[in-house]
Amino acid sequence: MSINPLSALPASVASAARTAKNERFDRWWIMVAAVVALVLLLITLKPDPYKNLFLFVRDGVWRTTYITIISFVLVIVFGLFVGLARLSKHKVIRGIATVYVEIIRGIPMMVQIIYWAFALPAIIQEMGSAWNIPSFMEYRPDGIVMAIFGLTFGYSAYMSEVYRAGIQSISKGQMEAARSLGMTYVQAMRYIIVPQAVRVILPPMGNELITLLKDTALVSAVAIPELTRRGREFSSANFNPIETWTMVALLYLVMTLLATRLVAYLEKMARYER
Amino acid sequence: MEPIIKIQGVHKYFGTLEALKGVNLEVQKGEVVVIIGPSGSGKSTMLRCINRLEEFDEGSIIVDGIPLDTAENINAVRTEVGMVFQQFNLFPHLSVLENILLAQQIVRKRDRAEAEKVGMALLNKVGIPEKAKYFPGQLSGGQQQRVAIARALAMNPKIMLFDEPTSALDPEMIQEVLDVMVTLAREGMTMVVVSHEMGFARACAHRAILMDAGQIIEEASPDVLFSHPTHERTKAFLSKVLH
Repeated sequence: MSINPLSALPASVASAARTAKNERFDRWWIMVAAVVALVLLLITLKPDPYKNLFLFVRDGVWRTTYITIISFVLVIVFGLFVGLARLSKHKVIRGIATVYVEIIRGIPMMVQIIYWAFALPAIIQEMGSAWNIPSFMEYRPDGIVMAIFGLTFGYSAYMSEVYRAGIQSISKGQMEAARSLGMTYVQAMRYIIVPQAVRVILPPMGNELITLLKDTALVSAVAIPELTRRGREFSSANFNPIETWTMVALLYLVMTLLATRLVAYLEKMARYER
Repeated sequence: MEPIIKIQGVHKYFGTLEALKGVNLEVQKGEVVVIIGPSGSGKSTMLRCINRLEEFDEGSIIVDGIPLDTAENINAVRTEVGMVFQQFNLFPHLSVLENILLAQQIVRKRDRAEAEKVGMALLNKVGIPEKAKYFPGQLSGGQQQRVAIARALAMNPKIMLFDEPTSALDPEMIQEVLDVMVTLAREGMTMVVVSHEMGFARACAHRAILMDAGQIIEEASPDVLFSHPTHERTKAFLSKVLH
């Protein structure tokens, strides 16, 4: 069910609200523009090494971007199910979800990523040899897929806590009102609780997105040629750590600042009168 | 005639606290029953048991011939029983009209045009059709409670439960909500109302009930109960409330 919160307001109120929001919005875009301008300035004024560097790491930026987007979409979905499971009335479901969250939170993200990339395929290959299953013996998963799995599995645990807190912040009366109208538990969650919780959790969800974006640098450890990995390759080939890591840092900054703007925009769209 | 609500020997525990100590109550179709009593007496708990928002530990409740036992039966009862809460509990992310349409569409499976017709008719009935496109947060408490009543009525309930519907309202807004309730009572709606609004009780209720410590202490017509109570606890309670 889509709603436009602004359409319900009298025209004058709505336009005043829109102006006020736009003013805040604009100022922060200046920061994004400034960082982009700095990158462009470096490329134009000092093409050697900045332009070469930029062209070299460009595919890394792309890889970082899509690993982030795919992982985050999966985290949003999977994290919701884990969050709901953590709130389940059934002890077994709640128990499984809790154990999963505790395990994930207790292991460094880097170790998790390495485990998915190197340990898990090895385990499957061993199983293949033990039980003589040829397809298992030759199991060689795609590195990026395993990296995305690792990030998704790890971040879903954190995201489930964000969902749980958001759902718990909605007053009990909302669920009662929905159930008293004959809605099932699933309908009440779908139409009443989750839509409200989403508005509460957008800011912490935005934090998760930005942290995830930055943590994609960890998958450079399993030889995925994303931005950090490409930076390291360039720097060790050309012996210019200052320029390389300045550029890499600026490129990450552009991405995180854009992500922040995106989240702020979503928050604005989701706002409603209380 | 078979009563539309039949509560038999209902016990309810909150941990070790016995909130309901074997409550028996029958409500006839078209009857308006007002329940009064000190806070913590179990009156809200009993009301919430009728549509199973509160689980009970012993006894049985049969609503319109349906026993409150299986999940299907509980949901069937809930579609026939409307409830109005002290805190309104409107859905803040939906407009006033959407609040009234949602359950009609997803529970009663009405199409949108039909649901809108019902919704606007009810907003007219509670006197605020002009607020249809507003959000609950933009309305006064009295207006919100009237929307909450309209939302419950949109399901065409056979019974309406009111859980202290005016207790969270500023004094000047109480009357507008009571007016809607009086209209409903006059139309023959079966109503169970937890409220200390004596004026409403005298004007509309067929029966008034005093609860204390998880039990029904006394029941009579409102005039008799309020003016000539027989039970000591009723007298004690009324002396604190009336003046």
